[in-house]
Amino acid sequence: MSRKELLSKIGLRADGRRAQELRRIRCKLGVFTEPDGSAYIEQGLTKVLAAVYGPHQVRGGRSKAQYDAAIVNCQFSMAVFSTGERKRRPRGDRKSTEMSIHLKQALMATIKTELYPWSQIDVYVEVLHADGGVYAACVNASTLALIDAGIPLKEYVCACTASLANNDIPMVDISYQEEVLGGPTLTVAALPMSEKIVLMEMTQRFHLDHLPKVLKEALRGCKDIKVILDEAVRNHLVNVGSSSGWVKNK
Amino acid sequence: MFTTKVFIRKNKIGNFLKNIREHYLRDDLFCGFTSCNVCKPEDTALSSNIENKSGLFNYPHYLILDTNIILDQMDILEEDVICNVIILHTVLKEVKHRSLAIYKRLNAVIDNPNRHFFVFINDHHRECYVPQEDTELINDYNDRCIRTACLWYINHIPDAKFVFITDDARNRALAEEENITTCSIEQYVRSIKENNLLEDKLAKRDYHVESDTQDLFPAHLTVTQVQEGIKEGRLHQGTYRASTSNFLEGFVSVDGYEDAILVQGRSGQNRAIDGDLVAVEIFKEQDWIAPSEIILEDESRVDTAVEEVLLKENELKEYSTGKKKKEKAKPTGCVVGIIRRKWRPFCGILQQDAPEGALYHLFVPADKKFPKIRIETRQAEFLKTQKIVVVIDDWPRYSRYPAGHFVRALGKIGDQATENEVVLLEHDVPHSKFSEEVLSCLPKLPWIITEEDVAKRTDLRHLDICSVDPPGCTDIDDALHCREIEGGMLEVGVHIADVSHFIRPGSALDVEAASRATTVYLVDKRIDMVPALLSSNLCSLRGGEDRFAFSCVWEMDKNANILKTKFHKSIIRSRKAMTYEEAQLTIDDKSRNDSIAQSLRNLNNLAKILKQRRLEKGALVLASPEVKIRMDSETMDPIDVEVKKLFETNSMVEEFMLLANISTAEKTLKDFPDCAMLRRHPEPPKINYEPLVKAGKHLGFEIKTGSNKELAISMDNAVKEDNPYMNTMLRILATRCMMQAVYFASGMFQKEDYYHYGLAVPLYTHFTSPIRRYADIIVHRLLAVSIGADVTYPDLLDKHKTSDLCQNLNYRNRMAQLAGRASVAFNTHLFFRGKLQDEEAYILSVRKNALQILIPRYGLESTLYLSQKGKKSIFEYNEEDQTQKYEDVVFHAFDPVIVRLALDSNNIQREKLVLQLVFPVVKGFSIPPLNEEHKRKVETDQKKTKAKKSKKK
Amino acid sequence: MKIQVRLATQRVDPSVAINYRSPKIFTPGEVITVQDEFMRGHGTYEEDGYLKSSVAGVKQQVNKLISVRPLKSRYNGEIGDVVVGRITEVQQKRWKVDTNSRLDSVLLLSSVNLPGGELRRRCAEDEHMMREYLQEGDLISAEVQNVHSDGSLSLHTRSLKYGKLSQGVLVKVFPSLIKRSKTHFHNLPVGISIILGNNGFIWICPPINNEEDNVGGFVQNLEEVIPRTERETIGRLRNCILALAQSKMLLYDTSILYAFEESLKYSVSELLIPESMVDVAMSTQHRINMLEND
Repeated sequence: MSRKELLSKIGLRADGRRAQELRRIRCKLGVFTEPDGSAYIEQGLTKVLAAVYGPHQVRGGRSKAQYDAAIVNCQFSMAVFSTGERKRRPRGDRKSTEMSIHLKQALMATIKTELYPWSQIDVYVEVLHADGGVYAACVNASTLALIDAGIPLKEYVCACTASLANNDIPMVDISYQEEVLGGPTLTVAALPMSEKIVLMEMTQRFHLDHLPKVLKEALRGCKDIKVILDEAVRNHLVNVGSSSGWVKNK
Repeated sequence: MFTTKVFIRKNKIGNFLKNIREHYLRDDLFCGFTSCNVCKPEDTALSSNIENKSGLFNYPHYLILDTNIILDQMDILEEDVICNVIILHTVLKEVKHRSLAIYKRLNAVIDNPNRHFFVFINDHHRECYVPQEDTELINDYNDRCIRTACLWYINHIPDAKFVFITDDARNRALAEEENITTCSIEQYVRSIKENNLLEDKLAKRDYHVESDTQDLFPAHLTVTQVQEGIKEGRLHQGTYRASTSNFLEGFVSVDGYEDAILVQGRSGQNRAIDGDLVAVEIFKEQDWIAPSEIILEDESRVDTAVEEVLLKENELKEYSTGKKKKEKAKPTGCVVGIIRRKWRPFCGILQQDAPEGALYHLFVPADKKFPKIRIETRQAEFLKTQKIVVVIDDWPRYSRYPAGHFVRALGKIGDQATENEVVLLEHDVPHSKFSEEVLSCLPKLPWIITEEDVAKRTDLRHLDICSVDPPGCTDIDDALHCREIEGGMLEVGVHIADVSHFIRPGSALDVEAASRATTVYLVDKRIDMVPALLSSNLCSLRGGEDRFAFSCVWEMDKNANILKTKFHKSIIRSRKAMTYEEAQLTIDDKSRNDSIAQSLRNLNNLAKILKQRRLEKGALVLASPEVKIRMDSETMDPIDVEVKKLFETNSMVEEFMLLANISTAEKTLKDFPDCAMLRRHPEPPKINYEPLVKAGKHLGFEIKTGSNKELAISMDNAVKEDNPYMNTMLRILATRCMMQAVYFASGMFQKEDYYHYGLAVPLYTHFTSPIRRYADIIVHRLLAVSIGADVTYPDLLDKHKTSDLCQNLNYRNRMAQLAGRASVAFNTHLFFRGKLQDEEAYILSVRKNALQILIPRYGLESTLYLSQKGKKSIFEYNEEDQTQKYEDVVFHAFDPVIVRLALDSNNIQREKLVLQLVFPVVKGFSIPPLNEEHKRKVETDQKKTKAKKSKKK
Repeated sequence: MKIQVRLATQRVDPSVAINYRSPKIFTPGEVITVQDEFMRGHGTYEEDGYLKSSVAGVKQQVNKLISVRPLKSRYNGEIGDVVVGRITEVQQKRWKVDTNSRLDSVLLLSSVNLPGGELRRRCAEDEHMMREYLQEGDLISAEVQNVHSDGSLSLHTRSLKYGKLSQGVLVKVFPSLIKRSKTHFHNLPVGISIILGNNGFIWICPPINNEEDNVGGFVQNLEEVIPRTERETIGRLRNCILALAQSKMLLYDTSILYAFEESLKYSVSELLIPESMVDVAMSTQHRINMLEND
């Protein structure tokens, strides 16, 4: 037993959650008018903005364009004030490049790019506050922004983190404090309806015995998140639809 | 999905880092009362059938405790009379923050269903949460949270009564204002009917009480003052170590000073106790003094404490000042604040000289490093006959001694069982019986080897394997074989009991073994690491029985060069379990030519080559005065003390064990570069060698300490014809200069730090004694994985886990070693009870007022005082040469002497061996010898000196 | 003018939603029906024998064809649509036009009216002169002539209504907010012309006098000074359109006109304050409802 036990014996985490509980998720679609689609998500204190432009004509160097599918371009960045310490974060550093690539991998799995040959879809995410599970929040925000932009997706792509409390009990949606104190953290991006994993990342190695239960927990987290996002999308649609009177444009 | 409300707490630390944490409030938390129909019922420990019996509150009631009660009065809470207690989460968190040890004990109580303790999570409860105000101190805030929870309970369960216990008068007053029933722990405990002397266990700690009595100690600085001082560099932080020989001296090792800071006298020590983390202020250089080399003991009584200490302080001052002392002056300072107390329960006895019927008594800890403790008890007459456990509560400025309270009695003073208990407790050796859960992990008898087992293992039952161990050994964990194979090569096998086959990772048995870490050997008792069924039967490689083993088999040429190393799990049948002596006889008996004799001879030859090679590399031959105590098998009284006999075969077995360990270390590190469990022995810093080099110099030898090889060579050369034991003494001294060898996880250190200094090998681990060492079990598991015989499990591959485990193993090993020594020491005392004996001995070192004497026959080290208390010594001390002189007689270090051993039993509280000088004869100091042989020696010596004197004339 | 900065918590909810009975909403991945009976339209895809939605929106069914229409997307051109676009590139025999569509639209040299009569033959000289007619950055109004298989549009300006745009203000809104109607060119009674491009680009300009010339609309008169009152009206219209767009209300001549009338109680600059924007949108909504209920 150490001071850094993540799950107290009465079964609560430091912030008062139980092991299987997500943090509070709040989200909003259509936060900007300039991009084609945009979304804002809060997972606990992690706050992310996402904006989607496109599909549009490939800009700058036509050679990148593909004849059979749209190209997806992701850019991840963190605000200087997003962590406890103010820090300049130049675009294109190693971490954000890696994040961008991972984000692209997750989104490519769900966007029906084959519908848009010769075109390009840009996804920009900006982390306003990082409190653990940054990647997961970015994926979830991007999904919402893509839906807002009306870009066809196979289904929602959701991401969630999971780790082990006291080296034994899997817990979901890891906060920054738990990330720092705890052991390895698993991040999973999945298509929750078809239960396909599109990306998996670990901060450290998990022992093989632990991996299945942590993975299971992370996937369950993805499904829970999907339900929450879906509700948000429906609410947004009803709101917008009612304003414009559900008028059919035909 | 769940109802939460978010509150954000901000706190700024240091470099203006903004920490924002979420704090969820829940509405699904249970209040703990089955009668409650609002909360969703869960398991609860609270019971309406159990009642707290208090005269103050003569109705059924539930207790809510403040943090200070738990921190200070854990001994009371561990008593069965108190039950139906609600522990608030706020309190639990604060306890955890303040003291991990208390937190663990509290958890043990909470986990016990018979105690009816319930944890209520008030800080995440929607109705009990109160936000902290901007200017509110954290303590006040916590108090407010506790009171809010009390009020909530009162309103939530109107038909139950709650009593809030706190020793904080302010909090009590505030609670009363809010109509919360409240009292102090003392009032409550006193009011308990049938309190069974519970009051003795009350910790007395005054909060903010000023005393009229004169203050004996300077005040400590406050926490902030200390922190500021350290920041500014005025104060230094370090661990306080009490001197073992002088109760008025201590040392604090701090960063930036090579020598530990000397603190002397009452004001210097300022209530620090061995192990405390303290803040010291270092004096200006002209005020520095040298450590006194005298030996002082605290002999005061409860009523004369102050006079006594003044007397001793003056005595000390006399020694420490003086011009000559200036040169040897060490950095000196005084303790100005305590950063963290390292108080633990102490074993010991009551000082016997208190008047009958007194309420206050002095408790004398068994370990001399700690001060006496003043306790209050109403059962002193009984306790005087007992070994008891006491803890310190507080050490106020006006009190000469720390104040403590009685915890429990262990048994009658002087009993074997009691003394063993004391030894085990003092060294923190877990020694309770194995729990049912642990025993259920054992294999069922009769144990048979199944076909499946045979298929998985290499069958080596055809080999002539035998084991060689000390006589009476029942936990045989190693066996050997050697046979000639093609090409004139030799196949040598070391077979180690396959304990990891029976102890599966994560089982209760495994957890228990990991916690015990090692088998502890006391003189008349063995505290097993694993239950006897394994240690003495299934794992023990007994002669003539089929056993599972983990084999390490080498192919060697006749010059002991390893050509091939193989590891596999096997089944063996030892032909014979031999003692070292038997094995030696078998080797020496020319008439024996059977395969066992031959293989033993081969092994012996190889071992000699291996040893030679090892020594050439710089391995050290060290010595320690080890003795064996022979016990009367019926009465369990020691009947003889003898130095352990060594045969060639001892060294033979040792060499092969070393070889197996080294081979294993290489293999496991190769396969697990990050989490292999290895053993390192760091090179000691040069300063450690000082006493050794000094002693060598006085004898005319230069001891080089540049490398282990230089040291080995220079010690080999330090031989005196007329004093053969001198070399051994040098080696004993060298042993004391060494660092402790420790286990570690390979991922936590740099490769160059893996070195084992004593053995002069780059890699080392423990593989060969899994029955009695847990480290070996881990090594077995790793090895089993790397040869594909077993699978890994998470903790095995986690270098942090392994590192934590190593810490425990190192601690337990050290403690086991000390416990073993303490047991031998006690039994030696027992042996001398009622005996007077003259023995040959050697001077180990010369002190200012005493000689440190080593008696090789009993492996005993003791002090021979050269002056009586209060009298001036007749000897003249020469600090330069480290000699004591009186007339013609000069004592040097390593000189042979004859001393008389006797047990001073007048002082029953602490029996101690008293030495008196027999030879050389010093008029007015030495005493006449007892037996003829020594008499003759004395006489011839006297004649010699007379002759010398007459010559001079 | 006062600059207003406010915290996120003081933000005004621009929603003017009224409780219409909302139709069933489909979200990506949701099963619409078993596949074999129906045809797969836009916004749907087929997987494991099911027809699933790929966007979030409402279902539309034409006989056996099922499609899901997202409430918001890039402009999907249809033949006959009026668009406002910006020239992005001049190529051989054609211009590339940004019309807020997924791919750039094409305006062929052969699809424009060149000065000198409709029946003029295009010669090589015209190709060299292309930049004289339209250069990068110019705004045009045009009609969708054709939709190619990859979704890109062909435009034409072979009507006097279309052509290069001169002085005025461009407002971009989501294409879904433009209500389709018979005409997208309106001369509002407040003395201002407005082109509601189907692609979400709205052009507000002083009244167009079509009779003035017939050179195919390649003339920009940038010297002419538009009177202040007209400029103010243009600004007010722009702000009204933004207010309606923010509240996700459909844009057409009536709604814009109503909004304009409702906005008269505010000054033009006051219309940028969130409260007044919502107020204008609400009042407009109210009047439209009255109109519909009548």
